[in-house]
Amino acid sequence: MRLMSEKRLDRFRLVEGRGELLAMVALILVVVVLPISVLGYQFVLRPALADVRTIDVMAAAPEAGGFQPDAIRVAAGETVRLRFSVPDVPHGIAIGPGLDLDLGHVDPGQVKEVDVTFPEPGRYTFYCNSWCSPNHWRMRGTIEVYDPQTPEALPASDGPDPVLESLTARGVDIDAPHETPMPPHGRPSAARGVDVVKQMGELPAVLTAPEWRRTLSPAKAWEALVTAGLSQAEAWDAVAYLWLAEMDAERLKRASTLYAKNCAACHGEAGDGQGVAARSLDQHADMNMLEEPVAFNNPSTMLGGSGEIYYAKLRRGGMGTGMPSFGPIFTPDETWMLVDYLWAFVFDLDPNQGP
Amino acid sequence: MKRDRLLSLAPFVGLALVILLIPLPLTVKPVTHVVTMTADQFAFDPPVLRVNYGDRVRLTLQATDVVHGFYLDGYGIETRVEPGISQQIEFVADQIGKYRFRCSVSCGTLHPFMIGELVVNPNLTFARAVGLTAVILAGTLFYLRRFPPREPREHTTA
Ligand code: HEC
Ligand SMILES: [Cu+2]
Ligand SMILES: [Cu+2]
Repeated sequence: MRLMSEKRLDRFRLVEGRGELLAMVALILVVVVLPISVLGYQFVLRPALADVRTIDVMAAAPEAGGFQPDAIRVAAGETVRLRFSVPDVPHGIAIGPGLDLDLGHVDPGQVKEVDVTFPEPGRYTFYCNSWCSPNHWRMRGTIEVYDPQTPEALPASDGPDPVLESLTARGVDIDAPHETPMPPHGRPSAARGVDVVKQMGELPAVLTAPEWRRTLSPAKAWEALVTAGLSQAEAWDAVAYLWLAEMDAERLKRASTLYAKNCAACHGEAGDGQGVAARSLDQHADMNMLEEPVAFNNPSTMLGGSGEIYYAKLRRGGMGTGMPSFGPIFTPDETWMLVDYLWAFVFDLDPNQGP
Repeated sequence: MKRDRLLSLAPFVGLALVILLIPLPLTVKPVTHVVTMTADQFAFDPPVLRVNYGDRVRLTLQATDVVHGFYLDGYGIETRVEPGISQQIEFVADQIGKYRFRCSVSCGTLHPFMIGELVVNPNLTFARAVGLTAVILAGTLFYLRRFPPREPREHTTA
């Protein structure tokens, strides 16, 4: 009897030992092998199998950390796959300047990816282009494209903007107020201005100098035209025509799209400074907008400024005023296009010029 | 006797005339409602739209803080509104009842509660028709109760 029971006990012990071993193996499988295989797939196997380097970018609202990572380094000529996902609210993803790369909006749960190759060393910006928070425009990241021959060297920046440099050299303060001494009554019209300019024959000297449309303010041009003998109203119409002359339907359309996406929330769809973001200023103390957005349709301030001042303000941004800096995301040509578009808020376009 | 019978119906005839002719403040012709609706976290303003059947609704949607959406149940209208780019929606209220409109873009924590309501009331012609039917029905019932038709058979034998 006793023997039997001991034998049985032995057998039990044996089974118990085997069970422990099995449990141990299962535990190791779960705790060690599973994570390693999952992470290994994610971080080792998949990148190794992928034909291009993939960079996962999490796009969160600025209050929640913005882009993570917000700085990417790639070699010139290398193709990388950027894969964007969002954790919180919808964002829009674009890369610029001058790349025409707009991935559109990415909603929570969605992933959008794009393969990019930068042939030359330089600096690019990936940015959110869908209003996602009061601080939306701060949501940006940089792409540094280095020369594979000299990976340590910092990429040469595009160099200072010649317009900004020239303004600085001349001691022009782009933040100074600029009033129009005698603003027009009613809206000057480019359509009427065509005939006025035709009848004038020769234009005053200041209006024949190169680049006048960018360096001269409409108010200064108006003074010269009145001195040359035009009536005040005629002179404003002539100015409207001269300032909008380079506008064609194509540029107008591109500029209005840029404006709607990037500016209207603050400056208003009608350019009246009453954008929705400005309107809800009191609701959003965190807006960080220290000044009211400018009304572009107000001739008494708008016509006292010159194109180059507006260009510079756009590229550099305000000094803590809430006006974002658009230099990192727009090309100089896109910036000029926008400046030209701003004039259409104070002047009536010639209907022949487009929509 | 016969005059009595007709007279007893007079109140109903009067009521029917009133229903048909009274110039209620509601207009018969469908109107166009031009409404600017703002969407911000986490509500629509105005939250309720009341229109009559057949009316045209011209909505300008503005998002004032972040991107929102607008989805109207029943009508299947959907759009996405970004701050600074207002969206125009136009439709004819051709379905009577209450329809919810909701934000269709996940816009933040309370996004599921961003809901408003479109109430499409039957219009005046419809209301008049309903009223008239009710009056005629009531009149008939009243008449039948007061002057029940005698069974013709009983009549002859009695
Ligand atoms: C987040 C709000 C905001 C956005 C977005 C914004 N601005 Fe501004 N902008 C301002 C504020 C505030 C000012 C006034 C303070 C200043 O001049 O720095 C201003 C000033 C300006 C001025 C200077 C006008 C003057 O009279 O000197 C120009 C030009 C301008 N903005 C153009 C633009 C354009 C074009 C865009 C779109 C590409 C844009 N802004 C987007 C807020 C904004
Ligand atoms: Cu964003
Ligand atoms: Cu919403």
